Amino acid sequence: MRVILAEDSTLLREGLVRLLVEEGHEVLAAFGDAETLVAEVEARRPDVVVADIRMPPTHTDEGLRAAVEIRERLPETGVLVLSQYVERSYAARLLAAGAERVGYLLKDRVAQVEEFLDALERIHAGGAAIDPQVVHQLVVRSTHADPLARLTPREREVLEVLAQGYTNAAIARQLHLSLSAVEKYLNAVFDKLELHRADGYSRRILAVLRYLEA
Amino acid sequence: MRGGEGEASAGRRFVGVLLGCFSPLLFLVPGLVLGPLLLWPRARPLLMAGARRLAALERSRRSLFFGDRFPGAYEVPDRRLLRYLAARVGAGLVTGLVLGLLVFGEVLAVLLVRGVVRGSLGWTELLGQLLLGGVLLFLDVQGLYALTALDARLARACFGPSEQELLRRRIDELALSRAAVVQAVDTERRRIERDLHDGVQQRLVALAMLLGRARRGRERDPQQADALLWQAHREAQDVLAELRDVAWRVYPAALDSLGLEEALGGVAQRCGIPLRVRFEAGDAPLPRPVETAAYFVVSEAVTNAAKHSAASAVSVHVTRDGPLLSVRVEDDGRGGADPAGSGLTGLRSRVAALDGTLRVDSPLGGPTTLVAELPCA
Repeated sequence: MRVILAEDSTLLREGLVRLLVEEGHEVLAAFGDAETLVAEVEARRPDVVVADIRMPPTHTDEGLRAAVEIRERLPETGVLVLSQYVERSYAARLLAAGAERVGYLLKDRVAQVEEFLDALERIHAGGAAIDPQVVHQLVVRSTHADPLARLTPREREVLEVLAQGYTNAAIARQLHLSLSAVEKYLNAVFDKLELHRADGYSRRILAVLRYLEA
Repeated sequence: MRGGEGEASAGRRFVGVLLGCFSPLLFLVPGLVLGPLLLWPRARPLLMAGARRLAALERSRRSLFFGDRFPGAYEVPDRRLLRYLAARVGAGLVTGLVLGLLVFGEVLAVLLVRGVVRGSLGWTELLGQLLLGGVLLFLDVQGLYALTALDARLARACFGPSEQELLRRRIDELALSRAAVVQAVDTERRRIERDLHDGVQQRLVALAMLLGRARRGRERDPQQADALLWQAHREAQDVLAELRDVAWRVYPAALDSLGLEEALGGVAQRCGIPLRVRFEAGDAPLPRPVETAAYFVVSEAVTNAAKHSAASAVSVHVTRDGPLLSVRVEDDGRGGADPAGSGLTGLRSRVAALDGTLRVDSPLGGPTTLVAELPCA
Protein backbone atom coordinates (compact mmCIF):
# COMPACT_ATOMS: atom_id res chain seq x y z
CA MET A 1 0.00 0.00 0.00
CA ARG A 2 1.03 3.65 -0.43
CA VAL A 3 1.61 5.47 2.87
CA ILE A 4 2.27 9.04 4.09
CA LEU A 5 3.76 9.49 7.59
CA ALA A 6 3.72 12.41 10.02
CA GLU A 7 5.78 11.89 13.17
CA ASP A 8 7.95 14.48 14.92
CA SER A 9 10.56 12.16 16.40
CA THR A 10 13.20 11.72 13.70
CA LEU A 11 14.32 8.42 15.10
CA LEU A 12 10.85 6.95 15.09
CA ARG A 13 9.99 8.39 11.68
CA GLU A 14 13.07 6.81 10.13
CA GLY A 15 12.30 3.50 11.83
CA LEU A 16 8.73 3.51 10.53
CA VAL A 17 9.85 4.31 6.98
CA ARG A 18 12.38 1.45 7.03
CA LEU A 19 9.88 -0.98 8.49
CA LEU A 20 7.22 -0.18 5.89
CA VAL A 21 9.71 -0.39 3.03
CA GLU A 22 10.98 -3.75 4.29
CA GLU A 23 7.40 -4.98 4.34
CA GLY A 24 7.03 -4.02 0.69
CA HIS A 25 4.93 -0.88 1.15
CA GLU A 26 5.61 2.41 -0.55
CA VAL A 27 6.26 5.50 1.60
CA LEU A 28 5.30 8.54 -0.47
CA ALA A 29 6.43 11.11 2.08
CA ALA A 30 7.31 11.50 5.76
CA PHE A 31 6.87 14.76 7.68
CA GLY A 32 7.92 16.03 11.09
CA ASP A 33 4.78 18.13 11.60
CA ALA A 34 1.15 18.33 10.49
CA GLU A 35 1.30 21.69 8.74
CA THR A 36 1.50 20.50 5.14
CA LEU A 37 -0.02 17.09 5.80
CA VAL A 38 -3.55 17.70 4.51
CA ALA A 39 -2.34 19.42 1.35
CA GLU A 40 0.19 16.65 0.64
CA VAL A 41 -2.41 13.93 1.16
CA GLU A 42 -4.78 15.71 -1.23
CA ALA A 43 -2.02 15.99 -3.80
CA ARG A 44 -0.60 12.47 -3.57
CA ARG A 45 -3.63 10.39 -2.58
CA PRO A 46 -2.00 7.69 -0.41
CA ASP A 47 -3.95 4.61 0.69
CA VAL A 48 -3.23 5.22 4.36
CA VAL A 49 -1.96 8.17 6.44
CA VAL A 50 -0.17 7.51 9.73
CA ALA A 51 -0.05 10.57 12.01
CA ASP A 52 1.17 11.26 15.54
CA ILE A 53 -1.34 13.35 17.51
CA ARG A 54 1.14 15.50 19.42
CA MET A 55 3.38 17.40 17.05
CA PRO A 56 5.03 20.81 16.75
CA PRO A 57 4.42 23.70 17.02
CA THR A 58 2.05 23.44 20.01
CA HIS A 59 2.45 19.76 20.91
CA THR A 60 -1.26 19.33 21.59
CA ASP A 61 -3.54 17.76 18.95
CA GLU A 62 -2.22 18.96 15.56
CA GLY A 63 -2.07 15.45 14.17
CA LEU A 64 -5.61 14.65 15.25
CA ARG A 65 -7.03 17.79 13.66
CA ALA A 66 -5.27 16.99 10.41
CA ALA A 67 -6.57 13.39 10.57
CA VAL A 68 -10.17 14.52 11.10
CA GLU A 69 -9.85 16.92 8.18
CA ILE A 70 -8.46 14.21 5.92
CA ARG A 71 -11.37 11.93 6.84
CA GLU A 72 -13.84 14.67 5.95
CA ARG A 73 -12.25 15.60 2.65
CA LEU A 74 -11.03 12.22 1.45
CA PRO A 75 -13.17 9.49 3.01
CA GLU A 76 -11.52 6.83 0.86
CA THR A 77 -8.14 7.47 2.54
CA GLY A 78 -7.34 5.32 5.54
CA VAL A 79 -6.18 7.21 8.66
CA LEU A 80 -4.17 5.75 11.53
CA VAL A 81 -3.58 8.05 14.49
CA LEU A 82 -0.88 7.41 17.09
CA SER A 83 -1.55 8.75 20.57
CA GLN A 84 0.76 9.25 23.51
CA TYR A 85 -1.91 8.44 26.09
CA VAL A 86 -5.35 6.89 25.98
CA GLU A 87 -7.62 9.87 25.38
CA ARG A 88 -11.26 8.94 25.01
CA SER A 89 -12.18 12.33 23.67
CA TYR A 90 -9.57 12.01 20.92
CA ALA A 91 -10.88 8.58 19.96
CA ALA A 92 -14.42 9.95 19.95
CA ARG A 93 -13.49 12.87 17.68
CA LEU A 94 -11.78 10.53 15.28
CA LEU A 95 -14.68 8.07 15.15
CA ALA A 96 -17.37 10.74 14.87
CA ALA A 97 -17.51 10.19 11.12
CA GLY A 98 -17.84 6.40 11.38
CA ALA A 99 -15.54 3.42 11.83
CA GLU A 100 -14.40 2.80 8.25
CA ARG A 101 -10.73 3.01 7.33
CA VAL A 102 -9.69 4.43 10.68
CA GLY A 103 -7.34 3.53 13.49
CA TYR A 104 -6.45 4.87 16.92
CA LEU A 105 -3.41 3.22 18.46
CA LEU A 106 -1.18 3.99 21.39
CA LYS A 107 2.22 5.04 20.18
CA ASP A 108 3.90 2.21 22.05
CA ARG A 109 1.89 -0.22 19.94
CA VAL A 110 4.28 0.58 17.07
CA ALA A 111 6.92 -1.33 19.02
CA GLN A 112 4.85 -4.48 18.51
CA VAL A 113 5.64 -4.54 14.84
CA GLU A 114 3.19 -7.29 13.89
CA GLU A 115 0.24 -5.62 15.58
CA PHE A 116 1.05 -2.31 13.95
CA LEU A 117 1.34 -3.85 10.47
CA ASP A 118 -1.85 -5.81 11.04
CA ALA A 119 -3.68 -2.63 12.05
CA LEU A 120 -2.50 -0.93 8.86
CA GLU A 121 -3.78 -3.86 6.78
CA ARG A 122 -7.15 -3.76 8.51
CA ILE A 123 -7.52 -0.04 7.93
CA HIS A 124 -6.46 -0.46 4.31
CA ALA A 125 -9.11 -3.15 3.87
CA GLY A 126 -11.80 -0.71 5.03
CA GLY A 127 -11.99 -1.74 8.68
CA ALA A 128 -10.97 -0.19 11.98
CA ALA A 129 -8.13 -0.64 14.46
CA ILE A 130 -8.76 0.53 18.00
CA ASP A 131 -6.04 0.03 20.60
CA PRO A 132 -6.84 -2.74 23.09
CA GLN A 133 -5.91 -0.32 25.89
CA VAL A 134 -8.53 2.15 24.69
CA VAL A 135 -11.19 -0.54 24.46
CA HIS A 136 -10.27 -1.92 27.85
CA GLN A 137 -10.57 1.53 29.44
CA LEU A 138 -13.93 2.00 27.78
CA VAL A 139 -15.13 -1.32 29.14
CA VAL A 140 -13.81 -0.57 32.63
CA ARG A 141 -15.21 2.96 32.74
CA SER A 142 -18.43 2.17 30.96
CA THR A 143 -21.54 3.53 32.66
CA HIS A 144 -23.40 0.38 31.59
CA ALA A 145 -21.87 -1.62 34.39
CA ASP A 146 -24.94 -3.84 34.89
CA PRO A 147 -25.40 -5.24 31.38
CA LEU A 148 -21.60 -5.66 31.10
CA ALA A 149 -21.60 -7.57 34.37
CA ARG A 150 -24.11 -9.98 32.90
CA LEU A 151 -21.59 -11.08 30.26
CA THR A 152 -19.64 -14.26 30.84
CA PRO A 153 -15.81 -13.84 30.87
CA ARG A 154 -15.66 -15.43 27.42
CA GLU A 155 -18.34 -13.10 26.03
CA ARG A 156 -16.46 -10.10 27.47
CA GLU A 157 -13.25 -11.25 25.75
CA VAL A 158 -15.06 -11.54 22.45
CA LEU A 159 -16.58 -8.07 22.93
CA GLU A 160 -13.18 -6.51 23.62
CA VAL A 161 -11.58 -8.06 20.56
CA LEU A 162 -14.57 -7.07 18.41
CA ALA A 163 -14.33 -3.47 19.60
CA GLN A 164 -10.69 -3.31 18.51
CA GLY A 165 -11.91 -3.78 14.97
CA TYR A 166 -11.31 -7.45 14.21
CA THR A 167 -13.50 -9.55 11.91
CA ASN A 168 -15.24 -12.65 13.21
CA ALA A 169 -12.61 -14.83 11.58
CA ALA A 170 -9.80 -12.86 13.24
CA ILE A 171 -11.55 -13.02 16.61
CA ALA A 172 -11.79 -16.79 16.21
CA ARG A 173 -8.06 -16.96 15.42
CA GLN A 174 -7.05 -14.76 18.36
CA LEU A 175 -9.16 -16.54 20.96
CA HIS A 176 -8.65 -20.03 19.50
CA LEU A 177 -12.36 -20.57 18.89
CA SER A 178 -14.33 -21.88 15.96
CA LEU A 179 -16.05 -19.33 13.75
CA SER A 180 -19.48 -20.63 14.73
CA ALA A 181 -18.60 -20.30 18.42
CA VAL A 182 -17.61 -16.68 17.90
CA GLU A 183 -20.90 -16.00 16.12
CA LYS A 184 -22.77 -17.65 18.96
CA TYR A 185 -20.98 -15.53 21.58
CA LEU A 186 -21.49 -12.37 19.59
CA ASN A 187 -25.21 -13.01 19.31
CA ALA A 188 -25.36 -13.44 23.07
CA VAL A 189 -23.39 -10.21 23.58
CA PHE A 190 -25.62 -8.20 21.27
CA ASP A 191 -28.72 -9.55 22.97
CA LYS A 192 -27.47 -8.83 26.48
CA LEU A 193 -26.33 -5.32 25.60
CA GLU A 194 -29.53 -4.70 23.63
CA LEU A 195 -27.49 -3.61 20.61
CA HIS A 196 -29.16 -3.76 17.24
CA ARG A 197 -27.34 -5.98 14.86
CA ALA A 198 -26.41 -3.14 12.61
CA ASP A 199 -25.67 -3.89 8.98
CA GLY A 200 -22.11 -3.55 7.82
CA TYR A 201 -19.08 -4.68 9.69
CA SER A 202 -17.65 -1.35 10.86
CA ARG A 203 -21.07 -0.12 11.93
CA ARG A 204 -21.09 -3.03 14.35
CA ILE A 205 -17.84 -1.86 15.94
CA LEU A 206 -19.12 1.67 16.08
CA ALA A 207 -22.28 0.50 17.80
CA VAL A 208 -20.19 -1.25 20.45
CA LEU A 209 -17.86 1.72 20.96
CA ARG A 210 -20.74 4.20 21.19
CA TYR A 211 -22.39 1.90 23.68
CA LEU A 212 -19.28 1.77 25.83
CA GLU A 213 -18.71 5.52 25.60
CA ALA A 214 -22.26 6.52 26.42
CA MET B 1 -6.65 46.56 66.26
CA ARG B 2 -6.04 49.57 64.07
CA GLY B 3 -3.06 49.53 61.77
CA GLY B 4 -0.11 51.61 62.82
CA GLU B 5 -0.56 51.26 66.55
CA GLY B 6 1.87 49.01 68.28
CA GLU B 7 1.68 47.52 71.77
CA ALA B 8 1.25 50.18 74.42
CA SER B 9 -0.68 50.31 77.70
CA ALA B 10 -3.90 52.31 77.93
CA GLY B 11 -2.32 54.72 80.43
CA ARG B 12 0.55 55.54 78.14
CA ARG B 13 -1.80 56.04 75.27
CA PHE B 14 -3.87 58.44 77.31
CA VAL B 15 -0.80 60.51 78.13
CA GLY B 16 0.08 60.41 74.43
CA VAL B 17 -3.36 61.71 73.50
CA LEU B 18 -3.09 64.50 76.08
CA LEU B 19 0.30 65.57 74.79
CA GLY B 20 -1.15 65.39 71.28
CA CYS B 21 -3.58 68.11 72.33
CA PHE B 22 -0.82 70.41 73.54
CA SER B 23 1.66 69.94 70.74
CA PRO B 24 -0.50 71.89 68.23
CA LEU B 25 -0.06 74.97 70.45
CA LEU B 26 3.67 74.48 69.93
CA PHE B 27 3.18 74.48 66.15
CA LEU B 28 0.45 77.05 65.99
CA VAL B 29 2.37 80.04 67.34
CA PRO B 30 5.51 79.67 65.23
CA GLY B 31 3.40 78.44 62.30
CA LEU B 32 1.16 81.51 62.25
CA VAL B 33 3.98 83.94 62.89
CA LEU B 34 6.68 82.42 60.73
CA GLY B 35 4.58 80.50 58.16
CA PRO B 36 4.35 83.39 55.64
CA LEU B 37 8.15 83.59 55.69
CA LEU B 38 8.22 80.22 53.93
CA LEU B 39 7.45 82.16 50.76
CA TRP B 40 10.81 83.81 51.14
CA PRO B 41 13.29 81.33 49.64
CA ARG B 42 16.27 82.32 51.82
CA ALA B 43 14.43 81.70 55.03
CA ARG B 44 12.97 78.44 53.90
CA PRO B 45 15.82 76.03 54.88
CA LEU B 46 15.96 77.47 58.39
CA LEU B 47 12.21 77.25 58.84
CA MET B 48 12.08 73.75 57.39
CA ALA B 49 14.74 72.65 59.87
CA GLY B 50 12.50 73.95 62.65
CA ALA B 51 9.49 72.17 61.18
CA ARG B 52 11.54 68.98 61.04
CA ARG B 53 12.36 69.34 64.75
CA LEU B 54 8.68 69.70 65.55
CA ALA B 55 7.81 66.71 63.37
CA ALA B 56 10.53 64.71 65.12
CA LEU B 57 8.85 65.56 68.44
CA GLU B 58 5.56 64.24 67.08
CA ARG B 59 7.31 61.14 65.84
CA SER B 60 8.82 60.44 69.24
CA ARG B 61 5.42 61.02 70.84
CA ARG B 62 3.92 58.37 68.57
CA SER B 63 6.67 55.84 69.20
CA LEU B 64 6.98 56.53 72.94
CA PHE B 65 3.33 56.49 73.90
CA PHE B 66 1.78 54.34 71.20
CA GLY B 67 4.60 51.93 70.41
CA ASP B 68 4.63 52.82 66.68
CA ARG B 69 7.77 51.81 64.85
CA PHE B 70 8.74 53.73 61.77
CA PRO B 71 11.45 52.81 59.29
CA GLY B 72 14.71 54.49 60.40
CA ALA B 73 15.98 55.96 57.18
CA TYR B 74 12.83 57.39 55.71
CA GLU B 75 13.27 60.82 54.13
CA VAL B 76 10.04 62.81 54.38
CA PRO B 77 9.53 65.42 51.63
CA ASP B 78 9.08 69.04 52.81
CA ARG B 79 5.56 69.45 51.49
CA ARG B 80 4.34 66.29 53.12
CA LEU B 81 5.90 67.36 56.40
CA LEU B 82 4.16 70.74 56.37
CA ARG B 83 0.88 69.12 55.40
CA TYR B 84 1.26 66.75 58.32
CA LEU B 85 1.96 69.51 60.80
CA ALA B 86 -1.06 71.48 59.55
CA ALA B 87 -3.27 68.40 59.83
CA ARG B 88 -1.88 67.72 63.30
CA VAL B 89 -2.76 71.23 64.43
CA GLY B 90 -6.37 70.70 63.33
CA ALA B 91 -6.65 67.21 64.78
CA GLY B 92 -4.92 68.23 68.03
CA LEU B 93 -7.21 71.19 68.58
CA VAL B 94 -10.31 69.08 67.98
CA THR B 95 -8.96 66.42 70.36
CA GLY B 96 -8.45 69.13 72.99
CA LEU B 97 -12.03 70.24 72.45
CA VAL B 98 -13.40 66.72 72.81
CA LEU B 99 -11.37 66.15 75.98
CA GLY B 100 -12.65 69.48 77.30
CA LEU B 101 -16.22 68.33 76.68
CA LEU B 102 -15.45 65.18 78.62
CA VAL B 103 -14.23 67.23 81.58
CA PHE B 104 -17.30 69.47 81.29
CA GLY B 105 -19.51 66.36 81.36
CA GLU B 106 -17.73 65.19 84.51
CA VAL B 107 -18.49 68.51 86.21
CA LEU B 108 -22.16 68.23 85.23
CA ALA B 109 -22.27 64.68 86.57
CA VAL B 110 -20.89 65.84 89.91
CA LEU B 111 -23.53 68.59 90.08
CA LEU B 112 -26.21 66.02 89.27
CA VAL B 113 -25.03 63.73 92.09
CA ARG B 114 -25.09 66.66 94.51
CA GLY B 115 -28.64 67.49 93.43
CA VAL B 116 -29.70 63.89 94.08
CA VAL B 117 -28.05 63.90 97.52
CA ARG B 118 -29.78 67.20 98.53
CA GLY B 119 -33.07 65.90 97.22
CA SER B 120 -33.62 68.93 94.97
CA LEU B 121 -33.95 66.64 91.90
CA GLY B 122 -36.99 64.62 90.96
CA TRP B 123 -36.70 61.02 89.70
CA THR B 124 -38.07 61.77 86.29
CA GLU B 125 -35.68 64.68 85.87
CA LEU B 126 -32.72 62.51 86.98
CA LEU B 127 -33.65 59.81 84.48
CA GLY B 128 -33.84 62.34 81.66
CA GLN B 129 -30.46 63.80 82.59
CA LEU B 130 -28.88 60.34 82.83
CA LEU B 131 -30.18 59.37 79.40
CA LEU B 132 -28.99 62.60 77.81
CA GLY B 133 -25.62 62.44 79.57
CA GLY B 134 -25.13 58.80 78.58
CA VAL B 135 -25.71 59.56 74.90
CA LEU B 136 -23.37 62.56 75.01
CA LEU B 137 -20.71 60.51 76.82
CA PHE B 138 -20.99 57.83 74.19
CA LEU B 139 -20.62 60.34 71.36
CA ASP B 140 -17.65 61.95 73.06
CA VAL B 141 -15.81 58.68 73.64
CA GLN B 142 -16.58 57.66 70.08
CA GLY B 143 -15.10 60.92 68.87
CA LEU B 144 -12.00 60.36 70.96
CA TYR B 145 -11.52 56.91 69.42
CA ALA B 146 -11.88 58.27 65.91
CA LEU B 147 -9.39 61.04 66.65
CA THR B 148 -6.76 58.68 68.05
CA ALA B 149 -7.16 56.55 64.92
CA LEU B 150 -6.79 59.68 62.80
CA ASP B 151 -3.65 60.61 64.72
CA ALA B 152 -2.14 57.17 64.00
CA ARG B 153 -3.14 57.39 60.34
CA LEU B 154 -1.63 60.84 59.91
CA ALA B 155 1.65 59.72 61.47
CA ARG B 156 1.72 56.64 59.25
CA ALA B 157 1.07 58.65 56.12
CA CYS B 158 3.87 61.06 56.95
CA PHE B 159 6.59 58.94 58.56
CA GLY B 160 6.24 55.93 56.34
CA PRO B 161 4.88 52.47 56.88
CA SER B 162 4.48 51.23 60.39
CA GLU B 163 5.25 47.70 61.53
CA GLN B 164 1.72 46.59 60.61
CA GLU B 165 1.99 48.07 57.17
CA LEU B 166 5.32 46.33 56.69
CA LEU B 167 3.81 43.03 57.82
CA ARG B 168 0.95 43.43 55.40
CA ARG B 169 3.39 44.10 52.58
CA ARG B 170 5.40 41.08 53.56
CA ILE B 171 2.29 38.91 53.51
CA ASP B 172 1.41 40.15 50.03
CA GLU B 173 4.95 39.42 48.93
CA LEU B 174 4.81 35.92 50.38
CA ALA B 175 1.43 35.14 48.82
CA LEU B 176 2.78 36.22 45.45
CA SER B 177 5.99 34.26 45.73
CA ARG B 178 4.12 31.21 46.95
CA ALA B 179 1.85 31.24 43.92
CA ALA B 180 4.87 31.78 41.69
CA VAL B 181 6.67 28.82 43.21
CA VAL B 182 3.71 26.53 42.58
CA GLN B 183 3.63 27.73 39.00
CA ALA B 184 7.35 27.18 38.61
CA VAL B 185 7.01 23.64 39.92
CA ASP B 186 4.23 22.93 37.42
CA THR B 187 6.30 24.33 34.57
CA GLU B 188 9.18 22.11 35.56
CA ARG B 189 6.94 19.06 35.74
CA ARG B 190 5.66 19.81 32.27
CA ARG B 191 9.23 20.00 31.10
CA ILE B 192 10.09 16.68 32.71
CA GLU B 193 7.07 15.06 31.04
CA ARG B 194 8.19 16.48 27.70
CA ASP B 195 11.72 15.24 28.32
CA LEU B 196 10.50 11.74 29.03
CA HIS B 197 8.00 11.67 26.20
CA ASP B 198 10.06 13.28 23.45
CA GLY B 199 13.33 11.73 24.44
CA VAL B 200 13.37 8.51 26.36
CA GLN B 201 10.03 7.06 25.29
CA GLN B 202 10.48 7.71 21.56
CA ARG B 203 13.90 6.12 21.72
CA LEU B 204 12.53 3.06 23.48
CA VAL B 205 9.78 2.68 20.90
CA ALA B 206 12.35 3.01 18.14
CA LEU B 207 14.54 0.43 19.88
CA ALA B 208 11.65 -2.02 20.17
CA MET B 209 10.91 -1.45 16.50
CA LEU B 210 14.50 -2.27 15.57
CA LEU B 211 14.23 -5.53 17.51
CA GLY B 212 10.87 -6.30 15.89
CA ARG B 213 12.30 -5.72 12.45
CA ALA B 214 15.30 -7.90 13.23
CA ARG B 215 13.01 -10.68 14.39
CA ARG B 216 10.82 -10.46 11.32
CA GLY B 217 13.78 -10.32 8.95
CA ARG B 218 15.55 -13.35 10.37
CA GLU B 219 14.36 -15.76 7.66
CA ARG B 220 14.36 -13.25 4.84
CA ASP B 221 17.81 -11.81 5.31
CA PRO B 222 19.87 -13.07 8.27
CA GLN B 223 22.69 -10.61 7.59
CA GLN B 224 20.44 -7.62 7.73
CA ALA B 225 18.83 -8.97 10.88
CA ASP B 226 22.29 -9.10 12.43
CA ALA B 227 22.97 -5.50 11.47
CA LEU B 228 19.66 -4.47 12.99
CA LEU B 229 20.58 -6.21 16.24
CA TRP B 230 23.86 -4.30 16.37
CA GLN B 231 21.97 -1.09 15.81
CA ALA B 232 19.48 -2.01 18.53
CA HIS B 233 22.30 -2.64 20.95
CA ARG B 234 23.83 0.75 20.27
CA GLU B 235 20.44 2.39 20.55
CA ALA B 236 19.88 0.74 23.95
CA GLN B 237 23.07 2.38 25.21
CA ASP B 238 21.94 5.74 23.86
CA VAL B 239 18.62 5.36 25.66
CA LEU B 240 20.48 4.71 28.91
CA ALA B 241 22.61 7.81 28.45
CA GLU B 242 19.50 9.86 27.68
CA LEU B 243 17.73 8.55 30.75
CA ARG B 244 20.72 9.47 32.90
CA ASP B 245 20.64 12.99 31.48
CA VAL B 246 16.93 13.41 32.04
CA ALA B 247 17.26 12.22 35.63
CA TRP B 248 20.13 14.64 36.15
CA ARG B 249 18.08 17.53 34.74
CA VAL B 250 15.25 16.66 37.11
CA TYR B 251 17.54 16.74 40.13
CA PRO B 252 21.31 16.40 40.22
CA ALA B 253 22.01 13.77 42.85
CA ALA B 254 25.53 15.15 43.26
CA LEU B 255 24.03 18.23 44.89
CA ASP B 256 23.01 16.15 47.91
CA SER B 257 26.06 13.96 48.19
CA LEU B 258 28.90 16.23 47.07
CA GLY B 259 27.62 19.80 47.29
CA LEU B 260 27.24 22.76 44.97
CA GLU B 261 30.79 22.93 43.67
CA GLU B 262 30.74 19.33 42.41
CA ALA B 263 27.27 19.70 40.93
CA LEU B 264 28.40 22.78 39.00
CA GLY B 265 31.30 20.71 37.71
CA GLY B 266 28.67 18.31 36.39
CA VAL B 267 26.99 21.17 34.52
CA ALA B 268 30.33 22.02 32.94
CA GLN B 269 30.73 18.41 31.78
CA ARG B 270 27.26 18.26 30.25
CA CYS B 271 27.35 21.64 28.62
CA GLY B 272 28.00 21.84 24.88
CA ILE B 273 30.05 25.05 25.10
CA PRO B 274 33.19 25.78 27.17
CA LEU B 275 32.16 26.67 30.71
CA ARG B 276 34.50 28.13 33.33
CA VAL B 277 33.38 27.82 36.94
CA ARG B 278 35.05 29.89 39.68
CA PHE B 279 33.77 28.78 43.05
CA GLU B 280 34.87 31.14 45.84
CA ALA B 281 32.21 30.64 48.45
CA GLY B 282 34.60 29.25 51.06
CA ASP B 283 34.30 25.92 52.82
CA ALA B 284 31.48 26.80 55.18
CA PRO B 285 28.45 24.65 54.38
CA LEU B 286 25.60 26.38 52.57
CA PRO B 287 21.92 25.75 53.37
CA ARG B 288 20.51 23.06 51.08
CA PRO B 289 17.74 25.22 49.54
CA VAL B 290 20.28 27.92 48.69
CA GLU B 291 22.57 25.37 47.02
CA THR B 292 19.68 23.97 45.02
CA ALA B 293 18.50 27.41 43.87
CA ALA B 294 22.05 28.45 42.96
CA TYR B 295 22.51 25.24 40.99
CA PHE B 296 19.32 25.74 38.97
CA VAL B 297 20.18 29.38 38.29
CA VAL B 298 23.48 28.27 36.76
CA SER B 299 22.05 25.30 34.91
CA GLU B 300 19.16 27.29 33.40
CA ALA B 301 21.41 30.19 32.43
CA VAL B 302 23.92 27.87 30.81
CA THR B 303 21.18 25.97 28.95
CA ASN B 304 19.77 29.27 27.65
CA ALA B 305 23.21 30.44 26.59
CA ALA B 306 23.88 27.22 24.69
CA LYS B 307 20.41 27.04 23.14
CA HIS B 308 19.38 30.59 22.28
CA SER B 309 22.24 33.02 22.42
CA ALA B 310 24.83 31.28 20.22
CA ALA B 311 27.42 31.92 22.93
CA SER B 312 30.90 30.49 22.48
CA ALA B 313 31.81 30.53 26.17
CA VAL B 314 30.13 30.94 29.54
CA SER B 315 31.70 31.88 32.85
CA VAL B 316 30.20 31.23 36.25
CA HIS B 317 31.41 32.99 39.39
CA VAL B 318 30.10 32.02 42.82
CA THR B 319 31.12 34.22 45.77
CA ARG B 320 30.01 34.57 49.35
CA ASP B 321 29.90 37.92 51.09
CA GLY B 322 28.84 37.45 54.70
CA PRO B 323 25.31 36.07 54.68
CA LEU B 324 24.87 36.62 50.93
CA LEU B 325 25.76 34.09 48.26
CA SER B 326 26.02 35.66 44.86
CA VAL B 327 26.00 33.73 41.61
CA ARG B 328 27.08 35.49 38.46
CA VAL B 329 26.72 33.91 35.03
CA GLU B 330 28.05 35.68 31.95
CA ASP B 331 28.08 34.60 28.32
CA ASP B 332 29.40 36.22 25.16
CA GLY B 333 26.29 35.47 23.10
CA ARG B 334 23.96 37.78 21.22
CA GLY B 335 21.80 38.71 24.23
CA GLY B 336 18.14 39.64 23.93
CA ALA B 337 17.03 37.15 26.60
CA ASP B 338 13.42 37.70 27.58
CA PRO B 339 13.21 38.21 31.38
CA ALA B 340 9.51 37.29 31.19
CA GLY B 341 10.20 33.96 29.50
CA SER B 342 9.06 30.85 31.31
CA GLY B 343 12.56 29.68 32.23
CA LEU B 344 13.69 32.97 33.75
CA THR B 345 10.33 33.52 35.44
CA GLY B 346 10.64 30.12 37.07
CA LEU B 347 14.15 30.97 38.24
CA ARG B 348 13.03 34.30 39.62
CA SER B 349 10.29 32.57 41.61
CA ARG B 350 12.75 30.04 42.94
CA VAL B 351 15.11 32.80 44.05
CA ALA B 352 12.30 35.00 45.41
CA ALA B 353 11.07 32.11 47.52
CA LEU B 354 14.35 32.37 49.42
CA ASP B 355 14.09 36.18 49.63
CA GLY B 356 16.84 36.53 47.07
CA THR B 357 17.00 38.71 44.00
CA LEU B 358 17.67 37.88 40.37
CA ARG B 359 18.86 40.45 37.86
CA VAL B 360 19.09 39.76 34.16
CA ASP B 361 20.93 42.12 31.88
CA SER B 362 20.73 41.05 28.27
CA PRO B 363 20.94 43.88 25.73
CA LEU B 364 20.50 43.01 22.07
CA GLY B 365 23.91 42.07 20.74
CA GLY B 366 24.96 40.74 24.13
CA PRO B 367 26.60 39.97 26.39
CA THR B 368 24.11 38.48 28.83
CA THR B 369 24.78 38.78 32.55
CA LEU B 370 22.67 37.10 35.16
CA VAL B 371 23.23 37.78 38.85
CA ALA B 372 21.42 35.98 41.64
CA GLU B 373 21.87 37.00 45.27
CA LEU B 374 20.70 34.53 47.86
CA PRO B 375 20.63 35.16 51.62
CA CYS B 376 22.09 32.18 53.47
CA ALA B 377 20.57 32.94 56.87
